[in-house]
Amino acid sequence: MKSTFRPAPLALTIAAVVTAGCANTPWASDDAQPVTKATVVEHYADLAYANFEDALITAKALDEATDRLIANPTEANLQAAKEAWLAARVPYQQTEVFRFGNTVVDDWEGQLNAWPLDEGLIDYVQADDYQHELGNAGATANIVASNSINVGGETLDVQDITPELLASLNEIGGSEANVATGYHATEFLLWGQDLHGFESGAGERPVTDYATGADCTHGNCERRGQYLDAVTDLLVSDLEWMVAQWAPEQSDNYRAKLIAADANEGVQKMLFGMGSLSLGELAGERMKVALEANSYEDEHDCFSDNTHNSHYYNGQGIQNVYTGTYERVDGSEVSGPSLSDLVSRTNPELDVKLTAQLEASMQALGLMKSKAESSENPTSFDMMIAPGNAAGATVVNGAIMALVEQTGSIEQAARELGIQALSPDDAGHSF
Amino acid sequence: MQDLKKLIGIAALSLASANAGASTEVDIEQQARSLWHDAILAGYQSLATNAGDFSRAAEAYCESPDYASRKSVEQAWLNAFLSWQKVRFVDFGPVENNNTAWQMQFWPDPKNLIAKKARYLIKSDAEVTPEVVDQSGVAVQGFPMAEYLLYDEPLNTSDTGLPAANTCRLLTSVAEHIQNNSEALASDWQSLRESYLTTEQYRDATIRAGMGALEILEERRLAQPMGMRGTGKRSKYDADAWRSGNSLKTVEASLEGLKTYFLPGLSLLLNNSSQPELTQSIKGQFDEALGHFPELREPMATLLQDESFSQLQGFYVDLSQLVVLVNEMASVELGVVRGFNSSDGD
Repeated sequence: MKSTFRPAPLALTIAAVVTAGCANTPWASDDAQPVTKATVVEHYADLAYANFEDALITAKALDEATDRLIANPTEANLQAAKEAWLAARVPYQQTEVFRFGNTVVDDWEGQLNAWPLDEGLIDYVQADDYQHELGNAGATANIVASNSINVGGETLDVQDITPELLASLNEIGGSEANVATGYHATEFLLWGQDLHGFESGAGERPVTDYATGADCTHGNCERRGQYLDAVTDLLVSDLEWMVAQWAPEQSDNYRAKLIAADANEGVQKMLFGMGSLSLGELAGERMKVALEANSYEDEHDCFSDNTHNSHYYNGQGIQNVYTGTYERVDGSEVSGPSLSDLVSRTNPELDVKLTAQLEASMQALGLMKSKAESSENPTSFDMMIAPGNAAGATVVNGAIMALVEQTGSIEQAARELGIQALSPDDAGHSF
Repeated sequence: MQDLKKLIGIAALSLASANAGASTEVDIEQQARSLWHDAILAGYQSLATNAGDFSRAAEAYCESPDYASRKSVEQAWLNAFLSWQKVRFVDFGPVENNNTAWQMQFWPDPKNLIAKKARYLIKSDAEVTPEVVDQSGVAVQGFPMAEYLLYDEPLNTSDTGLPAANTCRLLTSVAEHIQNNSEALASDWQSLRESYLTTEQYRDATIRAGMGALEILEERRLAQPMGMRGTGKRSKYDADAWRSGNSLKTVEASLEGLKTYFLPGLSLLLNNSSQPELTQSIKGQFDEALGHFPELREPMATLLQDESFSQLQGFYVDLSQLVVLVNEMASVELGVVRGFNSSDGD
C-alpha cells in the first residue's frame, strides 16, 4: 500500500481562523488523574484498546452473518451480512489513526484494509470494465475458479481455501494490488464489482453466487463460500492479535513498550498519526486524487459505495485522539487525559482553534455522509467525483480543505508540546 | 535597464537595512529569494517556449502526418516534458492554482487511468475539443496523456492510434492545454515577484520544495521502481515516462533543474551560515550524481535487468548522499523543518 502517491502538494493554505469563545475546561479539572504526557499516552492506549476491541466485536458479528449466508443463501441473509460488514467498518475506520506512527499497526493493517485491489485475483470480473494494476501478473488469477493459479511463472496450489492460504497470497507476485484478504476482499465477495461507474448504484452480486447445485450462478459457488468463510475467519483472528497488543496489564505487548518509553515518543506518535491520516492519506490519497482525476478506481469502498462512511469515521478517529474520547459501539463513552488538555495548558487559544477545526472537519465529512445517505436523490462518493459535478466537487473539496486546515494546527500543537521532528522512527515508511 | 534594476535593488536593500535590526541576515535572505525568483522564472519561461513548440508540432503532425512530422512532435514533447521536469520541484505559488502540478503530470498511475480515460474519449461519438480536455480531469490534461498517445504500443498498433482523427484531436487539445498552463505559470510567477521577495515564509517554502523534490527523486522515482520499497518487486511502471523509455532522462532533468534553479539561492544562504563548507559539498555531490549521465540515459526497463542494475545502484548511492547533505545537514543548518505534506500516507 505504499505505491499510490501523488507528488504535488495540496494547497496548504492555512487560514488564520480566529475562534473567539471560552477556553475548554481541562478534562482533569473534575477528576483525580493528573494530566501529564505520560497519562495522556496511557489513555491513548486505552482508546486504541477499546477501539480495536469494538472492531473485533463487529468483525465477529460479520463472521457469524457470513456463516449464516453460506449455510443458507437467501436475500435476507445476504442483506444481513452486508449490514454486518457496514457496521464493522464504523469502529475499524476509526482505528486507522493508530496506524501511522505505530509500526505494529502499520505493518499489520495491509492484511485487513489494503486497497485498491485487483479483484480479479479473487473471483470473476467483467473484463471490459476491469482495469487492473499495470504489470500485475495475478490480476485475473481467479482463485475461486481454480485449484491452482499461476502468478508470474510461479504455480500455486489453492485447492484448500484456508485463512493461512489467503494470508500467504496477499501481495503475491510482488503486487500490492493483489489483496486476497481483509475488509475489501470481503466487500467484493458480498457486493461484487460496481459496474455503474459514476452513476447511482453499487455492486450487484446475486445471492445465487452462493447457491448450491443447479441454482449456482457464475460457477464455483461452494469455493466462493469457502473463500468468504476463510477470509472472515482470518479477519477475526487478525483483530484478536491486535487487541492483545493494546491490552492493559501485560508485560510484553506493544502497549507495555509504548508506556515504558519516553512519553514524548508517545505524544509524537499521536500527533503523527493524526496529521498523516488527515492530510496525506484522507485528504490527499482518498479524496483529492479521486476527485481531481475523476477516478472511481481510487474510491475507497468501491464495491459497496460506503466510501462516505469510511471517510467520516477516519475523521472521527482523528478527533478521538485529540479529545481523548471514543464512543463505543455499545454507546458507552471512553474518556480521559487528552492532547487537548496538554495543549490548552501551554496555548489555550491553539486548543480552542484546533478543537473547532476538528469539529469543522466532522461537519464537512458529515455533509458528505448525509448527501450520500439522503433518502431523496442520494449522491454517493463516486457520483460526487464525476466529471462536471460541480456540487459534488464542492462537498468533497469542503472536506479536503477542512482537513488541510486542521493539519496546520496539528503541526503547531506538536511544536507547542516540544515535539520537534514529526518524522517516523521507521525509515522505511513513506515520509 | 540592468543598472536601473541594480539601483532599485540597492535602494531596496538599504531601506531594509535601515528598518531591520539584523540587517545582514535580512539582506542575504532577500538576495537569496531574488536569485530563486529569477531562476525559477527562467525555468517557467523555457517551459512555456517549449510547450508552445510542442503544441505547434502536434498541429503540424496532425495536418500532414508523416515520418518526419511524427519524429518532430515526439522530440517537441520530450523537450517540453524535460523543461517541466526542471521546474517540477516548485510545489508552491501559481502551480498550486487549480492543481496545475497534477494537470501537468498525473503520476504515478498504477491503475492505468490514463489509458482508460483515453479509450473513453477516443471512442466517444462527440468530437474531442480543448473544452472537453479542460473538463476531463487531471489524468487527461498533461504530459503523460500526450506520451500515451505518442508511444503506447497497443494504442499505436490499433486502428485508433495516431493519426486517427479523434486521437489527433485529443493530442492537439492536450498540447494546447499544456501550453496554456505553461504560459500561465510563467506569467503568474512573474506577478508573484514582489510578494515573493517581501514575504519571509517563501524562504522556507522554497527550501522545503527542493528537499521534497530530492526525497521524491530518491524514494519514489528510483527506490520504488528499483524494488527497494514496498513489496520488493522491480517495476518500470512505477517510474516516470516508462512508455517512451525516458525515465532516467527525466530524473537527470529534475536534478539539472535543482542545480540550476534551486542551488544558487541555497548556496548563498549556506555561505552566510556557520557551515559555509556545505555549499561545496553539495555542489560536488550534484556533480557526482549528474556524472552518471549521459551513460545512464537508458530506459528504466533496461536498467532493471540484472546485468545493468549495478549502474543504477551506483547512481542511487550518489543521489542518496545528496539527499543527506541537503535534507539533513543543510536543512538543520538553515533551521528548516519539514512538516506534514501531501506525500504522507501510503
